[in-house]
Amino acid sequence: MPSGLIQLLNNTGVSHEIAAKMIFYPIACLTLLFAISVVTSRNIFHSALYLALTLIGVACVYLYLDAEFLAIVQILIYVGAIVTLFIFTIMLTADISTVPFGGIMRRTLLSAIAAIGIFFILIKVVSKTTWQAAGAGAPSLGLPELGRSLMTKYVLPFEVISLISLAALVGAIVIGKARKK
Amino acid sequence: MIPQSHYLILSAALFSIGVFGILTRKNAIGILMSIELILNAANINLITFNRFSGKPADGLGQIFALFVIAIAAASAVVGLGLVIAIYRNRKTILVNKMDLMKW
Repeated sequence: MPSGLIQLLNNTGVSHEIAAKMIFYPIACLTLLFAISVVTSRNIFHSALYLALTLIGVACVYLYLDAEFLAIVQILIYVGAIVTLFIFTIMLTADISTVPFGGIMRRTLLSAIAAIGIFFILIKVVSKTTWQAAGAGAPSLGLPELGRSLMTKYVLPFEVISLISLAALVGAIVIGKARKK
Repeated sequence: MIPQSHYLILSAALFSIGVFGILTRKNAIGILMSIELILNAANINLITFNRFSGKPADGLGQIFALFVIAIAAASAVVGLGLVIAIYRNRKTILVNKMDLMKW
């Protein structure tokens, strides 16, 4: 949990435990509602805006998991860059408001059944397993350690990821470039 | 402290919503958005398991999630480039109209 929030709660006198839950569950429900809006919204532009809200909600969940750096990266890269890219692409292509389900009720129904089936299988797996929260109270990874291990222990994957980013950059330019007549 | 299983259920719900989106959306951009939802669900799982593992200070899950974000950005860039290229050539981004290479 963010330390600034804990400071705030110390002043109001509400127990940390209850306050953490009172904030977490509404955020989780809102995130899921926004995610449902992403996939069901009629207007694809609204979908992109709901996607930004969903990603911000996921960043809040990261804060609860003591991954502050990941939350910042999530907002910077996803909300700042990827959603902007989505909106640009939507603006460049014409079909903004198409019916999301395409008028085929049967396919929508089958998809809903498949998705709900997957959800219940996952719920079953999660609830059947006995999780032992070994590191629940242990201190989490700090930002200096994260940077240090990224530069020493995981330097090879880090370099590979930079190569992939470069390849994606060049590939996107080549694919998106207008062909000369 | 919120129990581990609640994070996992949140992630499972997000994943299922993404699967539903991929199966129902006709717009190629909508499908790419659903893929982003699924990648986020995977990231929540990774960070949850990192937090509740025996050694959260090891940070393997967080670093893995960082790499997933980088790959997601790369895939979104290439995917949206493809969408623009297809739109330029065929004037549509509806996946049921992109049937040139289907039998």
